[in-house]
Amino acid sequence: MSRVSAAAIVAAAAFAIAVPFFLKPFGIFLISMWAVLTIAAMGLNLTLGYAGQVSLAQGAFVGVGAYSVALLTQAGYPFALAFVAAGGLCFAVGWILGYPALRVQHHYLAFVTLAFTTLVFLVLRNEQWLTNGIYGINDIPRPSFFGWSTRGPQSFYFFSFGTLVVLSAGTWWMLRSPWGRAFVALRENPIRALSLGLDTRRYTLMAFAIGSMLGGLSGALYAPLVQFIEPGSFALGMSFNLLLMVIVGGSGYFFGPFVGALVAVLLPEWLRITQGYYLIVYAGLVMVMMAFCPSGILGLIGRVAKAVSRAGRAARAVSAEGIGP
Amino acid sequence: MSVVLEVSNLHKSFGGIVAVNGVSFEVNDGEILGIIGPNGSGKSTLFNCVLGQLLPNSGEVRIDGRRTTGMRPCDLNRLGVSRTFQLLQVFPQLSVRDNLILAGQEHQGSMFSRLIGSADAGLGRVTDRMVEFFRLSHLADEPAGALSYGQQKLLDVAMAFMAGPRLVLLDEPAGGVNLTMLGQLRERLQAYHAERKATFVVIEHQMEFVMALCTRVLVLAEGRIIAEGAPNDIRRNPVVIEAYLGH
Repeated sequence: MSRVSAAAIVAAAAFAIAVPFFLKPFGIFLISMWAVLTIAAMGLNLTLGYAGQVSLAQGAFVGVGAYSVALLTQAGYPFALAFVAAGGLCFAVGWILGYPALRVQHHYLAFVTLAFTTLVFLVLRNEQWLTNGIYGINDIPRPSFFGWSTRGPQSFYFFSFGTLVVLSAGTWWMLRSPWGRAFVALRENPIRALSLGLDTRRYTLMAFAIGSMLGGLSGALYAPLVQFIEPGSFALGMSFNLLLMVIVGGSGYFFGPFVGALVAVLLPEWLRITQGYYLIVYAGLVMVMMAFCPSGILGLIGRVAKAVSRAGRAARAVSAEGIGP
Repeated sequence: MSVVLEVSNLHKSFGGIVAVNGVSFEVNDGEILGIIGPNGSGKSTLFNCVLGQLLPNSGEVRIDGRRTTGMRPCDLNRLGVSRTFQLLQVFPQLSVRDNLILAGQEHQGSMFSRLIGSADAGLGRVTDRMVEFFRLSHLADEPAGALSYGQQKLLDVAMAFMAGPRLVLLDEPAGGVNLTMLGQLRERLQAYHAERKATFVVIEHQMEFVMALCTRVLVLAEGRIIAEGAPNDIRRNPVVIEAYLGH
């Protein structure tokens, strides 16, 4: 990692810690939403960006995680247990959803996962005995740990941000281990990977399972953050939004989802001044972005940085020539 | 001398097209066997059947006496069989070093130990030696996609050797490589062969390359073996000349 990007990460972390002290409750709610959704987007980035498996099911996993935590905590189980259960359940379901990916790829896989999202939505809506159907679940409690309550907006933000830091450290570790290399190999050339001894079946399932688990853990924080959940929140819109975060931020870049989630959470709020036009402006921006920079914001920054350093080298070469005989 | 690879009566057809039609041969320990034949004679299909990429219709493949027909390529690889493909197959976005580590990492420990262990799977020094051996040291940290075609070809071959295989199947290693690079490639293959006593099977069109490298040659035409022998005898064999020039 270059010194510049290390400095940028430290500065961004310092900013993320300081910023809630300067915001009103709604602003803190938004950055909490950023922290929570970044976890889900990071999971999707693992499945899609690194391992190359298209998924339109990430929103459904956020839903499964959110409902698990809402139901378990309301039934009196401690949050920590519900959190682990949500992650474990999504890991298992994600593993099973990975099986179609062993047979179909690209847009076919997108349709399989899309059908799964619809299935989860229908279950959440129709199985009233469990999920309370379209009425949703109210008054989801925020957890407290050893006397530290996360009920206030600031403390819940720090709880979410802390969870994000821990989970991204874990993800970073995994991606720098041989597993990360194997995931990229799966994306770039599965047949060659197989001939080099990579059990591509197991790695594909693992990429789905871990990506889905991160979706579930994100949902486990989403429920106590918004404190009211209903099936509509986890329909296709959420999955598309998470996909947008990964693509806009920079798919396959570790910090892509962090940037993408920031854009997806904040931009609609900033565009509120355009009133009824905000969705049009937002859609327009995304289209321009995709047409001119498909590698996302981080890809764009990388391109600019490369151009700057090349220009710098050229300038130095010219001045060196000037000094010479 | 022990038999490393034994193929018996292998058949593979695609619809009405019979690609491999009852091929049997053995490869001895330490041999460099060349397989030549006109386009469409079934060479690559034969490789793919031996390596588990395709399932043969009938026949049997044995490696070190063990029946391996129908085994997955990744399991075969862990038995010490590796390959290169006809078309270049490196991972362009990974660095040269990462390509090599990837090619060896699955032979190190268990899936779990690879997750918690070091990033290079303990292959740092092996990788250094390999980039040096294939004269790619100055490019070790470049993305593989930035290398020239010939350099990528060297990397491709180097990857096949990372796990210290006992049997390597090379599918047209000389294809599209310029003459200077070709000499280097042959010399590196011979050096590796001498050092490790590995066994090679090489599909190739470039006759000079085959003559210089191989100890024995099989000729395939229309899915059958039509000739077998020392490189120089093969060159003069009228049946072989007919197969290449006939029709």
